[in-house]
Formats: sequence, structure tokens, C-alpha cells
Amino acid sequence: MFTKGQAVSLTDILTNKEVRSFRQAQLQAQYPDKIICAVKLNIPGEIKTNTAIKNVFVDGWNNILQTLDALDYHIEQVAQYLALPTGPEGFIVVDGQLAAVKKVMITLETTLPLGRIFDIDVMTQVNTTQLSRQALGLPPRQCLVCNQDAKICAKAQTHSYQEVLAAIDRLYQAHFKAPRWNQVNAVNFAQKGLLYEVSLNPKPGLVDPASTGAHQDMDVFTFIDSTLALQTYFNEAYIAGFNFVGDDLTALFNQLRQSGIKAEHAMFAATKGVNTHKGAIFSLGILLGATGYCYQHNLTTFAHLQATIKLMLVTLLATDFEDLATKQTLTAGEQQFLKYQVTGIRGEAATGYPTIFALALPKLRATTGTLTQRLLDTLMYIAGHTRDSNLIKRAGDINILAEMQTWSEQYFALGGSKADAGISFLHHLDTEFKQRNLSLGGSADLLILTIYTGLLEATI
Amino acid sequence: MEIKKMAMAGTLESSDIQIMLSAGTNGYEFELESDVAKQFGDQIKATITSVLQAYAIDNAKISVVDKGALDLVIKARAVTAVQRALEIVDTPNWEVL
Repeated sequence: MFTKGQAVSLTDILTNKEVRSFRQAQLQAQYPDKIICAVKLNIPGEIKTNTAIKNVFVDGWNNILQTLDALDYHIEQVAQYLALPTGPEGFIVVDGQLAAVKKVMITLETTLPLGRIFDIDVMTQVNTTQLSRQALGLPPRQCLVCNQDAKICAKAQTHSYQEVLAAIDRLYQAHFKAPRWNQVNAVNFAQKGLLYEVSLNPKPGLVDPASTGAHQDMDVFTFIDSTLALQTYFNEAYIAGFNFVGDDLTALFNQLRQSGIKAEHAMFAATKGVNTHKGAIFSLGILLGATGYCYQHNLTTFAHLQATIKLMLVTLLATDFEDLATKQTLTAGEQQFLKYQVTGIRGEAATGYPTIFALALPKLRATTGTLTQRLLDTLMYIAGHTRDSNLIKRAGDINILAEMQTWSEQYFALGGSKADAGISFLHHLDTEFKQRNLSLGGSADLLILTIYTGLLEATI
Repeated sequence: MEIKKMAMAGTLESSDIQIMLSAGTNGYEFELESDVAKQFGDQIKATITSVLQAYAIDNAKISVVDKGALDLVIKARAVTAVQRALEIVDTPNWEVL
């Protein structure tokens, strides 16, 4: 936030203060019975302005005006000096009581997202010395770094310049850099993805709170246990991307894979040996790592997220499928690659999850109704438009995909989740899936990832 | 050297210091107001004193309102106040700036 911009000298800064003080006096003379608020930023160092700093100022400035308006204060005049080399500043002339206005401004300095770097002086003609926090019986401003009395820390220069800048930068990033992409939210969204998916019902063949579908060894509680066991892994995956340094993003993926192996152990320990989320561990790890990486680099768009994933996985298909012919034990995905040349979730991941971003997420955005209705329609849409490797494995026949496509079309023809006939059809499918021992594990995984991305962009 | 006229530099904003100099007869007579006077009062006076000595001023009344200014700010404000008091520089006319 502070590395770009024109440096100013101490003389420039001190001269600017005297100029501002003069302008203040002029306004006080012009509005003798009004309150003058001088709004500026406390930016340490010699760079006092740039685009980011101006954004912070304008954001806070608009917030101040809205707050005054909401509290029915009449604003007499505003004067904004956005382009000063010494940093943006401005005056707001308000009709009101000095102490009351000062309290509003102190509250804003405390509650605005970056209020702590705002400095709002409040004064009147009759009371030219600014009303201090202490005079109102309020505690002094807190230091950005250690929360002690800011004046003492500033005077004693307790903290290094870098420490103070880092503290401000953290505040800035938390507010301006797509807050939904931060670690706490992203990990939360990943867990929500898993829990929303298992809570959704009725689902053909899949586990939900009302039915264990075509699964004999697990129920909804197994999924809850598994979800909770993966929290550490989700945080690790996000942090790995956030902290990643280097040009070769395949190194990030290799790091995630190591974490992923540990996560599988944690899952099996929590579920007593049942595979609930192996596919989700693979894909959510990749997505979380990429989310952390993009957030750190201020690239919080899906285009950047997909590009990052592709770079992470550029060698995945070559390395994963090269030795299959001689490998002893094969996963379902590996067997199907040999049998049908279906690259499955690996192919999907390596191409940046086009099924999510070009198919499932647009569908989710287009759905309406309750969250259950929206997610059921999205799931059935995914199932009808993808090659679910779990379904192929359980059917033992790739022709099951054509049948699934027909079921999906029938479901939507009946009116989908908003029609009783659509819901009855899902129950009917669930029964059929149980009889034929079919399930939609692959589609469920994609639904989880769609929920994750939908939460990231606040579609749901 | 003697102070020729009363002069002021600085503002009452936080992190600044306002220094007013006027003619005196009895060495340096300080009047200091500061939220951090207890911890830093002597240091603030010492910084201003060193500037006055550098300009060879023997007598002055120094009225100071400190708002938590750093040492380099105190020094710069003191220099400006002295230069204005000695009429080395013109007191700026902010109206034309």
C-alpha cells in the first residue's frame, strides 16, 4: 500500500499543517457558530498519497458524510483536497453541538474499517483548541501495533516504521482486498460446502440426514466428523498458497499433496476407515491453496483463480498417469483412465475446473428459491452434464452416463425442485439408486466446489 | 542576539507542536503544555534550547503547546519560529499559497 508514490519532505508536511490550520481558521471565521471537522489520514513515512491511500480516504469520507446524514446533522459545507502530495484531506462544516459531533467522530475513528488511521479534529470558533478525547472522559487513541496509548508509542517511537506500516497494511487488506477471500472466510466456505452438501435432501444414492442412500458404511454423522477433521488441512492449504514464494506453482501443488495425504489419514481416523471426502480433499485443497495465493497477490477474480490452478497442475496428468500400467493398486479414477481414457477429476482440475466455472456456477447463479431448491437443481444439472467417475465405477459401465442424462432431463421437465413431481422423482431415483447400488459421489464433490465458489462470490 | 518581534510556528494538530517566541530579559523562560509533559517535558525543552543557542539568542519567552511532536518536528518548528522572530524569513502569507 505504501511502496508506490511520491515522497514528501518534513518541510512539505509541516508547511501543509500550517496551511491547513490557516484554512481551518478561515472556515471558523466564516461559520462562527458551526462545528468544523478536519479529516485527514495518519500515514507514517514519506509517501503520503497514492491510489490506495486515496481509496481509503474517499471510502472513509463517504462513510462520515453518510453517518452524519443518518444522525440528521445538517452539513453546511464540505471541502475536499484529494490531490495534495502530503495526503488527502478535507473539511466538513456541521451544524451541531461540539461534544456531540466529537463523539460521533471518535466513534467513527474506532468503528470505520480503517478508522484507526483517520484523524478527525473537531473545533469551533469559540473553542479553537480541539476538544480532546480526555476532555470528554474517553480513553486516548490506541496504538495501531500494541493497543497502548498511541501518543506514548509515537513519541517514544516504540515500534519500527515497518511494524506500523505492516499493521496498517493488514487493516487495508482486510477491508479492501475482497474480504470473502481471506483465510477465515475461505476455510469457512470450504466447510460449509461439505456440510451443505450432506445436509441436502432428497439426493439420489447419496448420504443425507434422512437417508444413507446407496451407502451401507456411513451416515450424516460420519460426514460431520469428517468435515471437522479437515479443518486443520483447509487452513494449511490456504496458508500454503498465501505464503508461497516462487515462480513454479507446481511446487505449491506438491506441498498441498503432502498436506492432502495427512488429511486423508485424519479423515480415516475420524470416520473409522470410511472414505467420505477423498475427492473433496483433493479439490478443496487445490482451490484453497489457489485462493490464498490469489488473495495474497491481490488477484481476487475467478479468471486469476483458474489460471493459478492451471499453473499449479500443469504437470499433473503427465506425472499421475504415466506409470499406471505397472502400478499395483489403482484408484477408481486411475482404473477408468486406463479403461475409458476418462481423465476424471484430475483432468477437470488440470484445466482449471471448467465444469464449475462454466457450467455449475452459472447454473447456481440462475437458480431461484430456497437454498435447498437451488442446490438440488444445481446437483441434478451437474449430474446430467458431467462424467461422474463414482457413478461409472458403481455401475461398472460407462453407458450409465447416458441414463443419468435422461434422468436429469426428466427431473427438469417435471419442474425441478420447486415442483412436487420433481421432488417425488428424486425420491424415486433414490430408491432406484439404492436398488442398483448407484451413487453420485463425483457430482456431489463438484457441488461442494460449486458451493465454495458460490460463497466466495456471494451468489449464495 | 535578541528577539525582534513575537513569532509563532506550528499548529495544534496531533503530532505537531506550536512554539511562540517573544522578547525576554531573563534567559529562557519556558511555558510548556503537553499531554506527555511528564515523560518528555525536559526533552522538549532541551531540543528547543539547543536551537535557540545555535542562533545565539540569550533571552526569550517560549510558550509551547506540544501535541506529541517527534523530536525532528520540534526542531524544525523551533528553527522556523526563530527565523520568523529574527525576521530572517518573512512570515508566510498563506492566503497567496
